[in-house]
Amino acid sequence: MDFELSDEQVALRDAARDYFANRWSRDHVRDALDRPPVVVPDELWQEVAELGWVGIAVAVEAGGSGGDVATAAVIAEEAGRALFPSALASVLTAAVALDRAGDRWRGALLEGVCAGTRRAVCAFEEPGGAWGPDAVRTTAVRDGDRLVVSGSKILVADVEGTDTLLVAARTPTGVALVAVPADAPGVTITPMIRIDGGQIGEVVLDAVQLPADALLGSDAPADAGDDAGADADALARSTYDLGTLLGAADLLGVAEAALAVTTAFANDRVQFGRPIGSFQAVSHRLADVLVDVEITRSLLYAACLAMDEGRPDAAELVSAVKVAANEAAVRATEAAVQLHGGIGFTWELDVHLYLRRARAGVATFGDGAHHLDRIFAQHTQARAAT
Amino acid sequence: MDLHFSAEDEQYRLRLREWLEAHTGRAKNPLAAGGGGDIMGALQGARDWQRTLWEAGYVGLAWPKEYGGQEATLTQQVIVNQELARYSTPPLINTIGLTILGPTLVVNGTDDQRRRFLPKILSAEELWCQGFSEPEAGSDLASLRTRAEIDGDEFVVTGQKVWTSLAPIADWCFLLARTDPNAPKREGISYLLCNMRTPGIKVNALRNAAGGIHFSEVFFDEVRIPRDQLVGELHGGWQIARTTLEHERSGLSNVLSLEQTLKRLWATASSLQQGTGVALDDPSLRREFARAWVDIEALRYLGFRTLSAQIAGRTPGAGASVGKLHASQLRQRLADLALRTEGPLAQLAKRSPHVVDRGRWVAAYFDALGHSIGGGTAEIQRNTIAERVLGLPRSVVD
Ligand SMILES: Cc1cc2nc3c(=O)[nH]c(=O)nc-3n(C[C@H](O)[C@H](O)[C@H](O)COP(=O)(O)OP(=O)(O)OC[C@H]3O[C@@H](n4cnc5c(N)ncnc54)[C@H](O)[C@@H]3O)c2cc1C
Repeated sequence: MDFELSDEQVALRDAARDYFANRWSRDHVRDALDRPPVVVPDELWQEVAELGWVGIAVAVEAGGSGGDVATAAVIAEEAGRALFPSALASVLTAAVALDRAGDRWRGALLEGVCAGTRRAVCAFEEPGGAWGPDAVRTTAVRDGDRLVVSGSKILVADVEGTDTLLVAARTPTGVALVAVPADAPGVTITPMIRIDGGQIGEVVLDAVQLPADALLGSDAPADAGDDAGADADALARSTYDLGTLLGAADLLGVAEAALAVTTAFANDRVQFGRPIGSFQAVSHRLADVLVDVEITRSLLYAACLAMDEGRPDAAELVSAVKVAANEAAVRATEAAVQLHGGIGFTWELDVHLYLRRARAGVATFGDGAHHLDRIFAQHTQARAAT
Repeated sequence: MDLHFSAEDEQYRLRLREWLEAHTGRAKNPLAAGGGGDIMGALQGARDWQRTLWEAGYVGLAWPKEYGGQEATLTQQVIVNQELARYSTPPLINTIGLTILGPTLVVNGTDDQRRRFLPKILSAEELWCQGFSEPEAGSDLASLRTRAEIDGDEFVVTGQKVWTSLAPIADWCFLLARTDPNAPKREGISYLLCNMRTPGIKVNALRNAAGGIHFSEVFFDEVRIPRDQLVGELHGGWQIARTTLEHERSGLSNVLSLEQTLKRLWATASSLQQGTGVALDDPSLRREFARAWVDIEALRYLGFRTLSAQIAGRTPGAGASVGKLHASQLRQRLADLALRTEGPLAQLAKRSPHVVDRGRWVAAYFDALGHSIGGGTAEIQRNTIAERVLGLPRSVVD
């Protein structure tokens, strides 16, 4: 039994933490809030790709670094801690989907994505107030040798500058990801800004005509004996889960960063002749945040292992860690604002940047209510099955 | 990262399961017997159960073989805890001796003390209670006032302990007493072992808020304790007590009992009539059930991280406070969820018509309240986390 990061993962974590600390300043984030969106300059994107982080969880033979889910989570957590734009996790997730979709998708696109010269992101959510793969109403319909995709997507993170969208669409056998070139006729992208300055967008797909093999994996019925690759529905769902898990890792990084700056402040700031960290109204609130953080980390590792092993409880654990991370991040960052006093309410100090990132992340890849409903449904199913 | 138990460990688990299949049902929990039943008979049953389990090799796993232990691996200890919980066996009657005194004697006892006391802790032949807390010394334990004066080959102990769990049935008590009243408060305390039948001891059982007998007041009036029942150095008791209070457990045994509680509550909520449906039709209640499941999984994997650190030879240190704080809060949230699931029916006393699950949830609710007080209050756990994990300044100056 070994339930901590491996030595290599610890080394990667330290390297990533150093890299982001040296190359990315939170001042970029603050400055960019006035001139949004906050984006990764091309030069930095090239660097993180060369470090192997965009393709961190893509097989080596497909151009990636061959890491597991836990390794990808290390990168996502460090990006969160540094408030490095979410594009890294977004593209990383799409790259894993392409890699797992089979040989058809290993090649120029995926290699380019790993190398930082091309970009792909996933588009799951839709208007209507229901979230996740089950709520997808966009359709992918076969018409002769074409695949026709119609529908609309919202909250598509890091959509600008992407050349391929992996659009979740309904097929006769479930949900599937369909690779849609961003410049295909019928695709309209409207960029928007997230509360943390991040970049999201709405994508309208008006009967977009694609080649028949634009679908990732096979959407043939299970009994068709089709061997065209991964089961498309399972792939789409596990991609959503991976995105969710990396979102939780990002939030964990944010929570830890907020806790660390607030703890340091509580040690330094003196009132009534004592450091404010000696007042229990302060220290106990921080102790509670530490508990939230430790719980989230424990669930994160559990979910990573479950995903890597393809265990049936993976989806539930992914939901569990997102629920825990949402709460940890909000509590940590709200405590950060409060416990800094007046300066915590200034634009100058970084704490509102953490709070923004937390609030954006909480709402990404399903909020807490969505994941609690998912857990309940899975439990009920498991009960019915036994 | 790897959460698998080795094939050898899984074998060990299977053998234990087979053993439990053959032996459960014989155990009785004397504390559950309540006011009415045959308490002495139930008590004997509980001692017999622990003895049977020990003879089979499932008690005292970490202890040296020389004194009746198994020298088993940490993983095997976890497996035993998990399986005992899975089979809902009653708690071991001598838990206080097993978890607190035993490990203390293994480290700090003399060879004679180990030989004399350890085997009988394991076999439940001698039941132990812990005499630390006093009326004026709870969280601030080092302020304790019970005195032990040296008189020839004996200590003469006078003072009062309180909240002493299991005192009326205990044969022995390990206690802290002040042997040097002039020293700074942490430097004049000694750790003593006292036979509860010694003249001068009076036990006054107290009812707890749940209505049961759990803890007592214990009065010491010139109680004579032989000098060789001092553990460690004279005046060196505080350090010893502190290390035992920190004696880490991964908390994994808690998880299974909480899991079973949730399962049972889930079943209740799925059948309890509410209007034209059942309680669990309520979407907000559903989310709370899902949330409770998340909390329990969190405790499970937190436990695995603690265990994994221990196996790697790292002490989890103050990290155990994280598990204790989370577990006590979780237990309380779960009990509260149970009462809210019952709705207005939650007001019904045990034997009333219409009472849900024979009143088990109110009992669980009261029981849960004690979990954030005993063994160091939730506030003290937060102090520990703040000071020793986060490195914040001490909140109390003394
Ligand atoms: C079920 C149960 C079983 C027990 N069994 C035993 C036993 O077998 N043997 C034994 O020796 N003791 C036992 N105890 C006693 C237990 O250890 C004490 O009750 C506990 O340490 C608290 O001490 P106290 O009761 O004096 O409360 P106090 O210390 O007076 O605390 C009162 C309140 O003040 C808070 N408080 C105190 N100091 C601080 C501080 N520094 N910062 C913030 N808040 C603070 C506490 O958290 C608490 O809320 C048991 C208690 C319970 C509930």
